[in-house]
Amino acid sequence: MHKEAAIREPLILGHKSYHDITEDVCRSIEGKAPKAWYIMFGVALLVGLYGVGCIMYLLGTGIGTWGLNKTVEWAWDITNFVWWVGIGHAGTLISAVLLLFRQRWRMAINRSAEAMTIFAVFMAGMFPLIHMGRLWVGYWVMPIPNQFGSLWVNFNSPLLWDVFAISTYLSVSLVFWYIGLIPDFATIRDRAKSPVAKKVYSILSFGWSGRAKHWNRFEIVSLVLAGLATPLVFSVHSIVSFDFATSVIPGWHTTIFPPYFVAGAVFSGFAMVQTLLLILRKGMKLEAYIHVKHVEYMNIVIMVTGSIVGVAYLTELFMSWYSGVEYESYAFINRATGPYWWAYAAMMTCNVVSPQLMWFKKLRRSLLFTFFISIVVNIGMWFERFVIIVTSIHRDYLPSTWSMFYPTWVDIGIFIGTLGLFFMFYLLFARYFPVLAISELKTIVKISGESYKNDTAPGHHSDKH
Amino acid sequence: MGTTKKYWKGLDELNASPQFTERAEKEFPQELSVDQFLADDKLKESSTGRRDFLKFLGFSVAAATVAACEAPVVNAVPYVVKPEDITPGVANWYASSYYDGSSYASILVKTREGRPIHIKGNRDHGITYGSVNPQIAASVLSLYDSERLKGPQSMGAAEASAWTTIDADVVKGLNAATSKGKKIVLLSSSVISPSTLDVIGGFMAKYGKVASALAVAPIAVEGEASMMAAPVYENIEHIQYDAISYNGIREANLASFGKRIIPDYDFSKAKVIVSVGCDFLNSWILSTQFVGQYLMNRNPDGTFMSRHFQFESNMSMTGSNADVRGMIKPSEYGKALAFLHKEITGTAVSSVDTSSLSEDAQAKLKMAAEELKANKGASLVVSGSNKKSIQVVVNSINNALNNYSSVINLNDPIMMFASEDDKVNTLIKDMTDKKIGALIMWDTNPAYSLSNGDAFKAALANVDMSVAMSRYADETASVCNYICPDHHALESWNDFNPKMSHYSLAQPTIRPLNDTRSSSESLMVWSGQATHVGPDSTNFHDKIKKNWELFGFSQQTEYLDFHSYWSAHVHNSCGNVMTLPATAVAFAGDVAAAGKDIASITGGEWEISLYQKASIGSGIQAGNPWLQEMPDPITKVTWDNYVTMSPADMAAMGLSIEIGQESPSNVVSVKVGEKELVLPVYAQPGQMAKTIGIALGYGRGENDEKIGRSAFHTDEFGKHAAGSNGTRKKIGENGFKIAVGGVLEINAESISKTAYTYILACTQTHSTVMGRNSIVKETTLDIYKAQPKGAYNHAHVLHSGWNHDEKPISEFDLWDAHPVEHVGHRWAMTIDLNSCIGCGSCLIACQSENNVPVVGRDEVRRGRDMHWLRIDRYYASDVEPTVGTKDLDKFNEGGFGALEIPSDNPKVIHMPMMCQHCNHASCETVCPVAATTHSNEGLNQMSYNRCIGTRYCANNCPYKVRRFNWFNYPSYRKFTEVNPAQDDLGRMVLNPDVVVRTRGVMEKCSFCVQKIQAGKLVAKKEDRKVIDGDVTTACADVCPTNAIIVGDWNDVESKVRKSSQEDRAYQVLEEVGTKPNVWYKVKVRNENNDALEAIQVAHNEHNAEEHSDEGHEDPAHTEEGHTEGGH
Repeated sequence: MHKEAAIREPLILGHKSYHDITEDVCRSIEGKAPKAWYIMFGVALLVGLYGVGCIMYLLGTGIGTWGLNKTVEWAWDITNFVWWVGIGHAGTLISAVLLLFRQRWRMAINRSAEAMTIFAVFMAGMFPLIHMGRLWVGYWVMPIPNQFGSLWVNFNSPLLWDVFAISTYLSVSLVFWYIGLIPDFATIRDRAKSPVAKKVYSILSFGWSGRAKHWNRFEIVSLVLAGLATPLVFSVHSIVSFDFATSVIPGWHTTIFPPYFVAGAVFSGFAMVQTLLLILRKGMKLEAYIHVKHVEYMNIVIMVTGSIVGVAYLTELFMSWYSGVEYESYAFINRATGPYWWAYAAMMTCNVVSPQLMWFKKLRRSLLFTFFISIVVNIGMWFERFVIIVTSIHRDYLPSTWSMFYPTWVDIGIFIGTLGLFFMFYLLFARYFPVLAISELKTIVKISGESYKNDTAPGHHSDKH
Repeated sequence: MGTTKKYWKGLDELNASPQFTERAEKEFPQELSVDQFLADDKLKESSTGRRDFLKFLGFSVAAATVAACEAPVVNAVPYVVKPEDITPGVANWYASSYYDGSSYASILVKTREGRPIHIKGNRDHGITYGSVNPQIAASVLSLYDSERLKGPQSMGAAEASAWTTIDADVVKGLNAATSKGKKIVLLSSSVISPSTLDVIGGFMAKYGKVASALAVAPIAVEGEASMMAAPVYENIEHIQYDAISYNGIREANLASFGKRIIPDYDFSKAKVIVSVGCDFLNSWILSTQFVGQYLMNRNPDGTFMSRHFQFESNMSMTGSNADVRGMIKPSEYGKALAFLHKEITGTAVSSVDTSSLSEDAQAKLKMAAEELKANKGASLVVSGSNKKSIQVVVNSINNALNNYSSVINLNDPIMMFASEDDKVNTLIKDMTDKKIGALIMWDTNPAYSLSNGDAFKAALANVDMSVAMSRYADETASVCNYICPDHHALESWNDFNPKMSHYSLAQPTIRPLNDTRSSSESLMVWSGQATHVGPDSTNFHDKIKKNWELFGFSQQTEYLDFHSYWSAHVHNSCGNVMTLPATAVAFAGDVAAAGKDIASITGGEWEISLYQKASIGSGIQAGNPWLQEMPDPITKVTWDNYVTMSPADMAAMGLSIEIGQESPSNVVSVKVGEKELVLPVYAQPGQMAKTIGIALGYGRGENDEKIGRSAFHTDEFGKHAAGSNGTRKKIGENGFKIAVGGVLEINAESISKTAYTYILACTQTHSTVMGRNSIVKETTLDIYKAQPKGAYNHAHVLHSGWNHDEKPISEFDLWDAHPVEHVGHRWAMTIDLNSCIGCGSCLIACQSENNVPVVGRDEVRRGRDMHWLRIDRYYASDVEPTVGTKDLDKFNEGGFGALEIPSDNPKVIHMPMMCQHCNHASCETVCPVAATTHSNEGLNQMSYNRCIGTRYCANNCPYKVRRFNWFNYPSYRKFTEVNPAQDDLGRMVLNPDVVVRTRGVMEKCSFCVQKIQAGKLVAKKEDRKVIDGDVTTACADVCPTNAIIVGDWNDVESKVRKSSQEDRAYQVLEEVGTKPNVWYKVKVRNENNDALEAIQVAHNEHNAEEHSDEGHEDPAHTEEGHTEGGH
C-alpha cells in the first residue's frame, strides 16, 4: 500500500472506518430527508415547472417570444447553452483527468461533480434544441438516411460539429458516471430494507457481486473511459467555441477561442462544484470528507484557470488593436465602452479580479469566501458568454443594423427554469444516489485518513461494510 | 332426316376435345368460400409474421400520425371555361394610369388569374418615365382592403342599400334642392379626367339654371376650356379642393403672366436647380415626372451633372439628395428668395430684410446665385411655398434667368391641383347659412383635410342632402346622408389629362369586387345620362370612348379607323405626347407688392413646416399596411407620426435623443392657436434650429371611421389599441388642422414637454456609418473627374508573404470557388448610389412581389421588420468630411463617440441593401442542414422547407439581410390587424409564384428567382440566349431612377457587366472576402469639399508613391473588377 507523508494534510478527517464511510454516505438515502430538502426540492420543482411552461409557450408560439431581433439572433439561448456546457466540464475533468493524474482528493468530489456535469449538459443540450425555429424537424441535423433525395447534413457547419461533440460528451460522461456508481449501488442494495428499494437498487447495480473479477473489470473500464473522456473534456468546449471562431463576425472570429473556452469552462465548472459541495457537505454532514483542503485545491484550479481566462481577455484586446482591422478593434472598444460596458465590466471583475484573491491562503481556505466567489465566478462566466455573443453581433459591420438586445420574460423564465430543473435533478441525486464514491473513498482512508496518519485510528482492521 | 338439330359454336365443340371441355368448365368460375380460402395451405407461406405485423402496425400508426399533422387541404378550383386571355401561371400586364388626387403616373398592372397583384411604372409610354412612388406601387393592396365599402349606404342604415333606392333618393334630393331654390354643390379633388368633366358638365346642365344666357365663365383652367366653355349656373357649382393646395403657384402665375396655371417644369434641362423648401423628388406637384427628369443629369459620366441647392428647414428626401443644403426657417423662405432675387437681378425685393439669414445660408445662397447667373436659360428655381407672394418672387427670378423659354413651360401647364381655396370657405359659410340644398362630394375628405374640418362637419348638418362618393365611410362620408362608393382605380375606366399636352387612359384590371360604381357613372345616372345596370355597367366606358373618338381621334392622322386608335391607346394607356414648346413670356408680376407681403411674414419662437411622407402622403391610403410599415426615407420610423426637431434643441429642452427598442421619446405638445398636436419627438439632424417638422396624412379615423384596419394603432399583442370610448386609436395627429389656408409653414405658439413618453418603431437606430469606408463611398465631381480611381474608390489589398507583397483581396480564398464565372449565367446587380434617392418604391415593389409579411409597429420596434430590401440611410458626422471618410485628426480628437453623432446639417447617403448573393457566402457554410446553398448561377438560395431555424446564417451575415420568421405571420393573432395575408380579401394580393413562409424559417432576398426563371423560359421558348431585359428583379423594375441594374454578369455585353466594371463600382465589405454578386457605385456629389479632396487626393498619392517605390504596378487599382475572372 502506498504510504503518504504525514505532513500532508489528510483527505479524510476524524476517525473514519470503512463502515463509517458507508454509514455516512448511506445515511441520507436510508433515512428520512430533512425538511430543508423538501423545501428546496419544492422550490426547485416549481421554478423548473415554470421554465417548462415557458418552453411550452415558446414552442407553441415562436422564437419571437424571446427578445431576439434581426441583428441579434442569438442571445440568452446560446449564452445559457455555453454557460451550462462550461459548467458541465468540471465533472469529467475531475473524474477523468484527475484520475489519470492520480489526484486522490478528487475521490470525495468526483461523484457529485459528475452528476452535476450530467445535469448541466442536459440543461445545455436543451437550448440548441429549443432555440431552433422548427424543433419538430430538428432531427435533420443528424446524418441519417432520409427520403429527401441525397440530402445530407452540411459537414462544414460548426453547429453540426456541436451536435456530435455534445452528444458524445454526454454519452461518455453518463456511462463513466454510471460505471462508478455500480459498486456503491450494490452497497446500498445490500443494506436496503424496504423491498422496493432493494429491487430498484439491485436493478441499478447490475448484479454487482463484489468479486475480484468484477473489481478488476471495473478498474479497467474506469481507466479506459477516463482515457476516452479526457480528450472530450478539451474537445467539447473547443468545438463549442468553433461556433463563434469560424464565423466572420468581429469578436467571434478569434483563433484564441478553443483554449480560452476550455479554461473558462473548467473555471466555471469548478465554481459550480464549489457552490454545490459547500451546501452538500453541510446539509449531509460530510465535512469529514469534503473539507478545507479539498476546497483549497479547487480554489487553486479556479485561480489558475481564471488567470488563463484573464490572459485570454487581454490577448483579445491586444490582437484587436494589433490586427489593424477597424471592425475588430471597434468590436472590442465597443465591448468595453459601448452600451454593454456594464456586462464587460461585470465579466472582468468577476472573472479576472475575483479569482486573483485566491492568492491569499486565508481567503482560499475560507469556506464562506469560497462560496461567495464561486457564485461570483458563475455570474462572471455567464456574462462572458453574453458579452461574446451579444456585444459582438449587436454592432457588427453595417452600422445601419446596429441594435440592442432586451430579454423578455420568456428568456428569463427559461433560464431560471433550467436552474430550477438542474437543482431539482441534483437534489434527487443527493437524496437517492450515493453522493460520494464510497468504494473509492475506502481506498484512501488508510492512506490519507487523518486517524491513520497520526495512528489514532481505533480498530485498524474494521473492514465491515 | 333426324329431328334433333345440333348447334355448335366451333369445330372444337363439335368434336368435344378435352381442352375444350376443360375450358368450358371454367367459363363461370365459382368463387371460393371463405372457409375454402382459409383452408388453402399455400396461404400460410404468405402469412404476416409477428415482426411484420409490428412493422405494419408501426408504419400505419406513423402514417396516420403524419397524415394527421398535414396542413388542411386547400383546393384550387380550375376554370370551367377558361377565359381566352388568361393562362394559369402566366401573368398578364395591363397598361393603365394612376391618379389619386395627388400623384399621377403611367403604370403597368400585373394580374395573375384575373387578380391584380403588382404595380410598376410604365417606362415606354406616358410622361412619367416609368416612375412611380411608394404610394402608387402599394395602391394594389388598397384594392383588397376589407373595410372598403361593399355597396351604397344611406345614413343610419347598417346594411348596404340597393343602388336603385339610393339613386331615387338622390335624384329626389337634387330636385328638391332645385325646387327650393337652394344651391347644389359638387365638391371634388382636382378632376383631371376630361370625360368626367364632360359628365359633370352634363350634370350641371341638368340641374343648373343658367345665370345669364350670355355669361361665360372666366377661363378657370386652360385645359377645361379646350373641352368646353362652361356656362355659369346660379344654383349649381363644382368646387375643386385639394388636401394639398398649390393655389399660391396658380395665383402667382395669374399675377405674373395672366394665366391661373401651374406651369410644366423640365428638370432635365436645368444645370442648376435651386429649391427653397420644395420636396420635388417626393411630393411636389408631378414629382413622378420630375424624378425622371432630375436623374437624367445626375450621372457624373454624362455631358454635365446638374448642381442642386436645397434650402429648407426639415430634412426632406429632396434635401437629402442635394449637392449643397442650407438650413433656413420656414419664415425665411421668402427672405432667401429675396436674397437670390437681389443677387441675380441686382434689385432688391423692396421691404424685405434678408440680413437675418444665417451666415452659412447667405454664403450658400450667394454661391447658388452665382451658379444660376452662369447658367441662364438652363437653371431652375422652385419653391414649395403656397404663398402667392413668394411664388411671384420665384417667377421673377426665373424670368430674370430666362428660364421661361426653356426649363419652365407656361404653354403646357400641369392640370393637377386646381384647388380653389377661397371657394371652400365660402362653401362652409353657405352651408352654415342653410343655402346648400345638396352637397355631393367626390374623392375628397374635407372633414379630415380642412383646417376647419370640424366646422365643415358641423355645417354639413345644415345641408339638406349630402352625398359622398367615397370608397370608405371615412371622416366625411360617415356623416353624409348617402355614401355612393366609387370603384377602386384598378376596377374602373378613366381618362386623364395630367398635363395640357398629354391624355391617358386607365383601364380596369379586375371586375369590381364590391357593389361599387364609378362616380362618373353615378353623376350620369343622377342627371339622366345613363342607367346603372350593376357592376358591369359600361356607361362611363362608353362615354370615354365617345369623347376620345370625338376629340382625340378626330385630331390625329396616325390611325385610320377609331378601333385601332382606341386599341392602341388602351394598350399603351396613352397616345403620343404632343409638344407644346415653351415660349418666353413677359413677366408682369408685382415684386414690390410681393415684397411687402413677404416682409409681413414673421417667424415665431418655434416654426413648423408640414410635409408629406413618401409613404403616407396626404393620408389617402392610411389603411394600407405596406405603406404604414414602410420606413420613412429619412427618419426610418414606421407606423407613426412625430415631430422632427434638431438634436440641439431637444437637448436644450431636456428631451431624449435616443432612439431604440426600449428608448422612449418624449411626447411634446405643439400649440398653434387653439389647436394642439401631441406627438413624440424624433431627433432629426439637418433640422433647422427652432423649427420642427410634422408629417401630414396621420391622425386619420379620429372617430373610428372604417378606413382600413391598418390605419389604427395596434398594441403589443396585436389588438387594436383602445382610444377614447373603446374606439380604435388613431395613429398620430392630423397636421391639416393647423394648415390654415393650405399654408404649410406655420408659427407655433409653444412647444412644451409633456409627462408622457412613447417609443417610436424605427428600422434603423444608428444614424452614421462610423467612418467605415468600405460600406459607402462618396466623392465629389471634381475629384472624380480629375483623379484616378485609387483616390475615391481604392480596392482593398492584403500584404502577403515575407516581402509583404500587396495582393488584391480576391486572390485570397479559404474555400473552393463556386464555378459561376464564365460558366452559364451569373446573376448580378449594380446599385448606383448616385442615382438612388431613397424613395422606397423598391421596398414596396419587393414586398408586393415576394409576399413579404407586414409585422406591425411593436415588432418593428423590436427590430424584426421583415423587408427583404431595406434602404440604409447614413448621415455624416463632424469627423467625416463626407459619409464614410474619416478625418484622422478630428477622429483622434473625438474618437468613436464623435463618429456616432451626425452633423448639424449632415450629408446623407441612401443605400439599398439586400442579400448580396455572395459567391463565398458566410451564411452557406454555417447552416447545419444545408438549407442555404449556392446555385450554379451565382444565387444564394434559401430552401425554406429544409430550414430548421438555427439563425446561425443570419448571425454570420456581414450585411444582416436575412430575416427570420419569428412567428407564424399568416395566422398568429398578433398580426391579424396588420398582415394582409390574414385576411381573405387581402390574401388575394399574394403573388402565387412565391411561397408564403412558415414560422421558424429564415428568408431573404432571392434576386426574385421566380422572375429569373420566367425570364429564362421566355428566352428558351424563343430559342435564344438570355439577353439583357429578359431578367429583372422587382426592385430594379420599379426603380424610378434606374439606380439598380440586374442581369447576367457572364454575358460580357450585358449592362450589369459593364456597369460593374466602371471605375465607380465597388463591393461592400470587400475585405471580408464574401465576393458578392452585387456591386455598388460611388456616390458623386457635385460640390466643393476641400477636406474630402485633401484626404482622397493624398490617399491616391500615397498609394502611387508606395507602389512606385516597390517598382511594380498596383494590380488592385488597375484590375479591380476583372480580378475575379480567374477561370
